[in-house]
Amino acid sequence: MKLAGESWKRFCGLSFAPALRWALAGVLVLLFAASAEAARISDMQDTNVWEQAIRFFSLRDDVVRTALLGSIFLGISCGLLGSFIVVRKLSLFGDTLSHAVLPGVAIGYLVAGEKDPFAIFVGATVAGVLGTVVVNLIKKTTHIKEDSSLGMVLAGFYGIGIVLMNRIQKLPTGTQSGVNKFLFGQAAAVSPTEVWMIAGVAVAAVLMVLLFYRQFLLGSFDIGFARSLGLPAGLFHYLLMMLLAFTVVVSLQAVGAVLVSAMLVIPAASAYLLTDRMHRMLVLASVFGIFSGVLGAFFSFLGNSLPTGPLMVLAASSIFTLSFLFSPKHGLVSRWRKRRRGQKRIENENTLKAIYQVRESYGFAGEGVRVKDLALRMGETTDETRRRLEKLAAVGVCDLKEIEGKSYAFLNPDGWLRACAVVRNHRLWELYLTNQAEYEPDHVHDDAEVIEHILGEETVRHLERLLDYPAEDPHGKLIPSLADLQRSLTKGSSEDKATGYRMPNQ
Amino acid sequence: MQEIPLETHDLTVAYDKRPVLYGVDVQVPEGKLVGIVGPNGAGKSTLIKAIMGIVPITGGWVKVFGESFARGAKRVGYVPQRESVDWDFPVNVMDVVLMGRYGRLGLMGRVSKADREIAEACLDKVGMLPYAKRQISNLSGGQQQRVFLARALAQESDLYLMDEPFVGVDAATEAAIIELLRELKGRGKTILVVHHDLPTAQTYFDMLMLLNMRLVAFGPTEEVFTQELLQKTYGGRLTILSEVANTVMKESK
Amino acid sequence: MSIWSELIPEFSFEQVFVEPWTEFLDPFIWIFLMGFFVTAACGFLGTFIVWRRMALVGDAISHSVLPGLVIAFLVSQSRDTLPMFLGAVGAGVLTTGLIEVIHQKSRIKTDAALGIVFTTLFAIGVVLVSLYGENVDLDTDCVLYGELEHVTLEPLSSVFGLFEAPGSVIRMGVVSLLVVGLVILFYRPLVVSSFDPGLARSMGMNPAAMHHALMSLLAIVVVSSFEAVGAVLVIAMLIFPGTTASLLSDRLPVILGITLVIAFLGALLGMHFALWLDISTAGAISTVIFGMFLLAWVFAPRRGLLWQVFR
Repeated sequence: MKLAGESWKRFCGLSFAPALRWALAGVLVLLFAASAEAARISDMQDTNVWEQAIRFFSLRDDVVRTALLGSIFLGISCGLLGSFIVVRKLSLFGDTLSHAVLPGVAIGYLVAGEKDPFAIFVGATVAGVLGTVVVNLIKKTTHIKEDSSLGMVLAGFYGIGIVLMNRIQKLPTGTQSGVNKFLFGQAAAVSPTEVWMIAGVAVAAVLMVLLFYRQFLLGSFDIGFARSLGLPAGLFHYLLMMLLAFTVVVSLQAVGAVLVSAMLVIPAASAYLLTDRMHRMLVLASVFGIFSGVLGAFFSFLGNSLPTGPLMVLAASSIFTLSFLFSPKHGLVSRWRKRRRGQKRIENENTLKAIYQVRESYGFAGEGVRVKDLALRMGETTDETRRRLEKLAAVGVCDLKEIEGKSYAFLNPDGWLRACAVVRNHRLWELYLTNQAEYEPDHVHDDAEVIEHILGEETVRHLERLLDYPAEDPHGKLIPSLADLQRSLTKGSSEDKATGYRMPNQ
Repeated sequence: MQEIPLETHDLTVAYDKRPVLYGVDVQVPEGKLVGIVGPNGAGKSTLIKAIMGIVPITGGWVKVFGESFARGAKRVGYVPQRESVDWDFPVNVMDVVLMGRYGRLGLMGRVSKADREIAEACLDKVGMLPYAKRQISNLSGGQQQRVFLARALAQESDLYLMDEPFVGVDAATEAAIIELLRELKGRGKTILVVHHDLPTAQTYFDMLMLLNMRLVAFGPTEEVFTQELLQKTYGGRLTILSEVANTVMKESK
Repeated sequence: MSIWSELIPEFSFEQVFVEPWTEFLDPFIWIFLMGFFVTAACGFLGTFIVWRRMALVGDAISHSVLPGLVIAFLVSQSRDTLPMFLGAVGAGVLTTGLIEVIHQKSRIKTDAALGIVFTTLFAIGVVLVSLYGENVDLDTDCVLYGELEHVTLEPLSSVFGLFEAPGSVIRMGVVSLLVVGLVILFYRPLVVSSFDPGLARSMGMNPAAMHHALMSLLAIVVVSSFEAVGAVLVIAMLIFPGTTASLLSDRLPVILGITLVIAFLGALLGMHFALWLDISTAGAISTVIFGMFLLAWVFAPRRGLLWQVFR
């Protein structure tokens, strides 16, 4: 436990390469935890987990091969189409579509008289398209808002589907019909024909996205602009919707109607947190989709009777949780660490600023600053101030020395430059607010306290130009100028007298 | 001593951590018709919403008749932007105007005959009495605005906050509204109106509040409506201010 | 074609419409009442949910209460109302909390956050049901379309010695009365904050508090309906009565009244259909109220499709 704590500390203090390693470790732990759970499941089945696992991964069984292949292709199409769903904010539309196909499944079964994948495919697609049309019609012809019309089609179609399925199960042939497997999915029940269809849809999705990537991208980002370019944006929209409907329909057997939308949304959302580019998102989402699909199929296989859909969704959610926490750029933990670093920097900069101000009160005479004066300036005890200075010393910009029994702090040239820069930012911003933005002088200090730490060099130049290279702030204090700072930097010495009065030398 | 209907001090508002209004200080005197003027995105509506606490304020304070808004709310009437409500909502014109009385009725109080009469009188004043039984989606833009105004009248408030009441209304309605506002002012009410049309602003209002992310000027129209101040208000956004606002937003994310 | 002839069983008016009210009144009256209470409570509240565009929040809550119910049962080892209720409310709060966290702490938009959270919680619930189903006395069928008929298996309990009814029917009746009572009591703030939150605020009302209160009430209704109608069909009960009624009238009080009529007719016809076709009562009720919506959509005076075409 202690070890874990220490690694955690190290993890917090280091950059991302180890973060990734840890994320990986996390996945492994998760897998272990999951297999422990699976062990419990298999106890009920009286079979050995490892035997089952080996059976699964050695691909000896036809059933396993089919299920695995199906999950892989399914992951690809769900990831690809899901990415577009997520960036176009159509998540709830996906949910509606996946529920609306249900009556089509039942009618497909009834027409074919058996569980014929092709008839079910056609029936489900027709129902899905009909559902979309009804949503649009309700929206166009009544005052009912989109979210309600989505909900109505979702629940209304689903209700009809349930009624039909109830009836099918009451048929003499119904009990072995397997239609109820369409609700939560059963990867083991996927037939070779169905795998061909899943693969067909995946290939079609990959091809379409490769061929029309730019059109899809533009249509998703700015449909008005796409139209103005003369692109048949509507056509591409329907193409995308058609692919989406196909994906949902072929996913039914493995994932089930109730949770298909999750397989669309969750892998894509995880990818969305990891990258800022659409093409990378598409690839990542597909990879996550494959991973969740295979994992879900695996655990369903271990658990024998467990429905596949929920397990796939849980695998996908685990990936999402990891990327939500540890994504290098958007992750919760990495952002929290970034903020911690920022806060430390701000604290240090405030200390530097206070040192500047104390030296200013000395008229820039002498080299060091008495710790007691600094403590007075900051309104805290000398112990607290000493701790602050030690933090500065730790980053190597400050020395603490005892001279004649009194403590002094000395800034080295880097520290002094940074101190001048913070003071300059603060005073420039105050001046800007009073002169240009017409603020009352008594309003500007608090704002400048925040802004001083985030002004970039570009903005500072802009401000200096705008304020005509000012020498004094609204309260009559000197402003160390950027040019002075840089001159002293190039000369490589802070003792250079040529920096002039505006760059108080050390 | 006269009460101050509205006072703000250093009022600062940020949307999603991005500052949109900086340090606004105003004291609005009683019995004035005040126009809030500024370019798009200057924070005019935000100011009104911040006063009422609809958007959270990040700094400073607001006082209404010397009290916090929650306490003074009973004396404030509000006219939101027309698009901000769902006009398909299943209520008719009379229902909407009666809503103006709800603040006084409390939870259990019955809508009395007197309330109905007040609502009818208010409707009559804006020329909408014949439409009392109409469902609100069957009204033109100008008519909808009149209904909102009637509702505000029914609130019998002392301070009115109106968000763009002249947008999308016909000339006759605009004239009728301004007539009504002047009458209200004559009865000692204070009215703040968000307005986006400069030429009419000069003639409509006693006082102007020039706003562009910060308060540029506030004072009697004849003093404030100058080339120089308007230039300052409309002469481009303060680029650095919004640049820095963006940085603040990014840093805090 | 034989499959089609077997799909629709023989219809006997006597058996489908008469006997439930004569010979077999005892079980069927409870099925009818349960159906009516569920549809009425959902529909009455749903009218506001629809106008406030919270329809899909209802969807999310109805799915995510499942793990709460199962865990509460596994922990308390009983089907008592209180632990079940606490578990479900806990899950509901967790849902809204997680959606908030994901939305605010990352760049995922609300709709996707909703889609991630409720499906994940629901998946956990389904896995738990599959693993512990026999102990929990819940099965996946119940999750998918409810088991409204099960009220007939419950022992009767007495209400103040006045009459006797199955426990869940009494509970649902109380919830319906609570919903109707609260909506009537808070009618004004509810209307104003739904129509114009700005105005509500300017009157010193608190639209945010109203929102949370409504969410809590929604959670209560969804939880108490769960066993009867399952996770998905509750959306039908929430949305259809209110939207159908709003096609028929412009006045909110009238609309609220119509939702009760729809609930009555839906439960009545649904019960008879379910009896005739030997199907899930909840599925039958939702199909009936879907049908009523379609009728209103086509034939409603002024707002209906036909009216719009032939005006």
